[in-house]
Parts: sequence; structure tokens; C-alpha cells
Amino acid sequence: MIRPLVIFLAVTKNWIRSRSGLFFSIMFPVLLLIVFGAIFSGGGGGGASTLFVQNLDRKSDGTVTELSSAFVGALNSTKVFAIKDVPADADAKVWARNNLGPLGGNIRIVTISKGFQDDLLNGTLKVRVGISYGLLSETYQYLTLYGGLNETQRTIYEQGLAQLRQYNEILPDSRTSLTIALDASDQSGAVIKNIVINVANAFNYGLIGATNVIEFKDDSVTSNRYGAVDYYLPGIIAAFIMTNGIIALTSNTTEFKRRGIIKRLSITPLTKFDWIIGNVLSQTLLSIMLTAIMIVVGWIVFRVQAIPDALTIILIFLGSVMFSGLGMVLGGLVKDVEAASALGNAIAFPMMFLSGTYFPMEIMPSYLQSISRVLPLTYFSEGLRYALIYRYTEGVLTNMALVSALAVAFIILGSVVTRWKEK
Amino acid sequence: MAERVVEVRSLVKQYESLKAVDGISFELYDGEVFAFLGPNGAGKTTTVEILECIRPLTSGSAKVFGYDVTKREDVKEIKKRIGVLPQDFSALDKLSVKENIDLIGGMYKKKLDTFEVIKLLDLEDKAKERFENLSGGLKQRVGVAAALVNDPQLVFLDEPTTGLDPKARREVWGVIENLKKLGKTVFLTTHYMEEAQVLADRIAIINKGKIAVTGSSQDLITNYGGRKVLVIRKGGEKLAETLQGLYGDTALNHGGDVIVKVDDVNEMWRALSTLTDMKMNREIEIQTPTIEDVFLKVVGGRITEEGELK
Repeated sequence: MIRPLVIFLAVTKNWIRSRSGLFFSIMFPVLLLIVFGAIFSGGGGGGASTLFVQNLDRKSDGTVTELSSAFVGALNSTKVFAIKDVPADADAKVWARNNLGPLGGNIRIVTISKGFQDDLLNGTLKVRVGISYGLLSETYQYLTLYGGLNETQRTIYEQGLAQLRQYNEILPDSRTSLTIALDASDQSGAVIKNIVINVANAFNYGLIGATNVIEFKDDSVTSNRYGAVDYYLPGIIAAFIMTNGIIALTSNTTEFKRRGIIKRLSITPLTKFDWIIGNVLSQTLLSIMLTAIMIVVGWIVFRVQAIPDALTIILIFLGSVMFSGLGMVLGGLVKDVEAASALGNAIAFPMMFLSGTYFPMEIMPSYLQSISRVLPLTYFSEGLRYALIYRYTEGVLTNMALVSALAVAFIILGSVVTRWKEK
Repeated sequence: MAERVVEVRSLVKQYESLKAVDGISFELYDGEVFAFLGPNGAGKTTTVEILECIRPLTSGSAKVFGYDVTKREDVKEIKKRIGVLPQDFSALDKLSVKENIDLIGGMYKKKLDTFEVIKLLDLEDKAKERFENLSGGLKQRVGVAAALVNDPQLVFLDEPTTGLDPKARREVWGVIENLKKLGKTVFLTTHYMEEAQVLADRIAIINKGKIAVTGSSQDLITNYGGRKVLVIRKGGEKLAETLQGLYGDTALNHGGDVIVKVDDVNEMWRALSTLTDMKMNREIEIQTPTIEDVFLKVVGGRITEEGELK
């Protein structure tokens, strides 16, 4: 057991003293965590989307009408938007482009047309009269059918209905419109548009006196209150344990092979299996260090609540073995460092994005979901999420079983393809 | 008679249509420095790697300390007893000299104290220096130190001075001479004629997978080096004609030097006495054949600095 430990110590020291190795294995994932956390945590108040609003509905004195102003207030109350008023006499698109600010962004313009208030009032009145007519008409038909009306009552009902119908016909068929201008490349455009439509609908219902029958309440599926960064943390850890195994170990192995270091060691009593165990141990230590640093940084910066337990440590060990094994397989198959790096990247990057690490698998097309179900990272990151966030032991164990099986398979395959003798 | 350390019989290594090693036989004896001298692609490294048990042979037999290189249990015994400086030796860049020697030493149950080896190779000042910061010559010394850390009886040095500048090359030569003094058996491969001649007790000239000749440098020079050459500076045409008449095989070069090829000392004295008889006082130079002459004779070409056959 001494020889694998000697290899473990040597390759670990060699890695720790390499600045580039240290950066890509530890610093880069930490930076990514901070960036992801900053983007998705929603804190700091800077997350509101800019929405340009040009209100053309003005009174003769130039001031905005009460209802159009209330509508802008309703948009503002969603806290989704940072509203910027576009002067009524400006070309909205040109003005918006000139007033985006130094950081730029997407241009989204809502235009409130002239006559918004009048059209809304007339339209609302017509709706209310229409509703009243409908209710009275249904009541009249019901009472007539069941003989509940005498002749006098029937006459009064019919006169009333006729007057309402006449009034409804006299009232203008007013509809007001809002214009929403979006950039075709704006990925959040559809969401922004839906929010504006929902605000408009709520405004409509409010004006005709409707109330919400269904009410939503917020709840959480986890016992603790976790932030978005808590959910990204296991994914980032899993993804970088994977890249360290597949890309870094593969490149190191081929570099050692190219420089004759593996050949030199193979002349000693060191066996191929000793070499593999030493490297796997080194990768495991690296993975545990990465996890610890990510959790500490996550706690300091974002107050993440994920705390690793014994199951997490075991899963990290098995994940490290699995991806080290895969790295050994790739390192054994390719001859030069460039090819190793290209092959490692070609496998690692699609796996990173298809395994539900950064994006939920549910948003992917079904054929991509089928692919993700055969990727080892899917089970590792899912297991890590269950272990660190949900505390769902059964889910951890199921994924752990799959990771263990793959770890054994890759280690065996890695020891087969690692060449310990020249041809 | 010294103990036989390596015994190779009719060794063949075939790669598809290429015979890298073509039926060679040789022995190494305890305490000697044995050199494989040949150009690139001659089969030197292939042979050495078969003896180091990292490359399988195609046919024939190879034994090290009586152990068969093809038997798994024997391989373990061989690996314990040999030290190796591979061609283009390299180590872990970020580890120090001591750590790299410790790494190789950690593979053996029986090993020397690392500082003892460091001292032996005169690397005390560089013990804490990272491998990546060393010069080519120092890197080779680390390689030799790593080869000695298990106190081997047999040391393989595969092209130990290739790519080094003349100063570094001389340093490595000093190391090899020390190994000989320590009583180690050394198997040296090289394409440098002078290196083989200076360091080796016996030389095998190898080309295209076959050993052309084997013997001590003196024996090879005597048997294959050709005649000694007497150069008489500014001897002139008349002296050249006289010596040609007396001995034959005399030439006059463009500078007016007379070049006479002689078989032995007696012939040389007679040529010099002719010079005295003609009352000519000229500067003379005696050139003895070298291994390069031997190589030219048995292989029919010379080896360039880069190791190519010309």
C-alpha cells in the first residue's frame, strides 16, 4: 500500500504547486459559483428589468390622465421593472436607444395610446351594461319558464331589458390598446410581455369590479428556506469534479506519458494498479478540497446552507473514482496532450450542460432528456443535490449505487487501456 | 572470470515488416562498462527496453542476473536489481530534486538514503531546487541519482548525453566514471564515438538491428581501425615521391603536407629516418585510428551529431 501513497503524494504536490492547475481546479469553480450566485440570487435590488413607457394619454394641459398614470403605477408595483418615462413628443425607439445607460441591455417599450382613459371608461361601462343585461335576461327567462311572473312584472322586466339593450347599443364599442415593442433577440422578451399582459388583465378586472376566486399561497418543498445558489452549488461541484477527472487527469496522464515519466515509473516495481490508485486518491483529495472551499465561499458570500454529511463525502469519493477512471480510460486511449485536451473537452462540456447541472432537465426536449439519462454526471449531480439540499437519503443511495457501478466499470476499463509496457 | 550479468541470445524484435533487433547475441560482465554504439534507429533503445522488462521480445532469449525477462515472477526480481536512466529522462516539474529521487526510491523496499545519493551525484546545492529550474546536465544527474537510489547492481544509461552541451556532457562522463569506480555494471547506449571510446570497457557497434563487431576499444581499433598515419608538415613533393617509392600509400595534400600510412612503429621509424637522410627538419604528427575509423570501416558511414548515419 506504500507505493500508491507515494504516487498520491507526488502527483498531489505537483498539482498543488502548479498555478494553472490550481486556478482551473479550484479558483475557476469558485468564480463561477460567485457569478452564478450573483446572477440568480436576485439580491441587491439591481435585478429589475428596464422598461421604457411612453404615455401618450394626456389632458389638454399636458398632464397624464389618472387611469394611464394608475396603469404605470400598476406596472411599477410588480417590482419586476425599472420604469423609464419616454417623453410624449419623442421617437420612443430612438430615445430608448440613447437612454439605455452605459451597460446597454435590451430595449422594451410599452406605449399607452392617446384616449386610453376615455376608451377604458367607455369600454368598461359597455361591459358592465352588457353583464347587467345578461344577468337580467337570464333571470327573466328562468322566472318565465317556471311561471313565477304575473303580467305586470313581465311588462316591467321587458321594458327594463329593452332599455338596457338600447343603452348598450348607444354606448360606443371602445377598446383601448397598448403597444409592446421588443427586440427579437431578447430572450426574456416573452416573460416581460406576459407580465405586462397580466398587469393589464388585472387592471381590466379591477375596473369591471371582478374579484379573484382562486388565491395562490407560497410554500417550499424543502424544510429550510434555500436560495437559488444553494441549488447551483451541488451542480457546480459535481461538474468540476467531473472536469478535473476527465480533462485535468487525462491531460496530466498524457503529458506524463509523452515525457516518459510513466515509462520511468514502469521500470520500477510500481504496478499499473498502484499508479491508478495513487491518481484516484489524489483526485479524491482535490474533490474534497474543492467541495470544502466552495461551501465555505458559498457560506461567506451567499450564506448557503448546504452542509455535507457522511453520505455526501462517500458520494464525492465515488464520483471522484468514477471520473478519475473515465480520465484514465481517455488518457490511455490518446497519445498526445492536445488530443487528450480536445477529447476531454468534447466529452465534458456537453455532459455539463445535458446533465441538469446548470439547467433543469425538464426544460430540455425529450430526446435530450433521454441522452441525459445515460450520462454519469446526471446521477452524480442529482445524488449530490439530494445529499446537500433535499436530505433525501433514498434518492442519494439510488444515485450512489449507479455512480459506484460506473466507478468500478471505469476503473477496470482504465486499468485495461493504461499501457504499462511498450509495444 | 567476472560473473555474467546479462546474457542475450539471438534476440529479435519485429514490428510488422520492420526488424528493429535482428538476432543479436551478447553478454555483460559484472563491473564493466559496456557500450552499444550506433546511429538512431539501430535498435539500441529497443534492446535496452527489452532488458528493462518494459518491451516484449519477439524471439530469442534475454536474461538479466539469470532471470528471464519474459517471465512475470522473474521480471519482479530484475526490476529490483536494475537502475535506469531512460532516453530523454524527465521528472515531475514542480517537485524538487530530492522529492523526485524520493518518488523513485519510494517504489523500492530496499533503497539508499536519498541524501547519500544526492551527495554521490554532487547535487547537495540543488536538493531543494525544482526539477523545472535545472539545466540539461543537472537534469541528467538527477536521472542518474534516481537510477542509483535502489542501489542497483546493473545500471542502464540510454543516451545519457544526447542534447547536452560539451561541458554538461563531460560532467555526465565524470558521473559514469564514478559508477565504474563504485563497481557498478553499466550498460551505456550512445551515438557519440568519443563517449564510447572514453568510457566503455567493451563496445558493440550496432546498426540496422545487428551487431557488427564487439570488443574493447583497443581491440576494435587494432583489428578494424586501419593503419597509423604519419603527417610531415610542409614535406613537399620530393619527400612524397621518395616515401612513395619506399613504402607506397603516401599522399601529398594541398598544403604541401606529406601523409604516410604505416603498419607499425618500425615502419614509422624508417620513414622518419628517410627524413633525416634528406636533411629535412620538419614538424611531424602521428595520428592513431579511433573508434570513428572502426565505425567507418565496419558500417561504412559516419554518425552525425544528431545521431543520423551519413
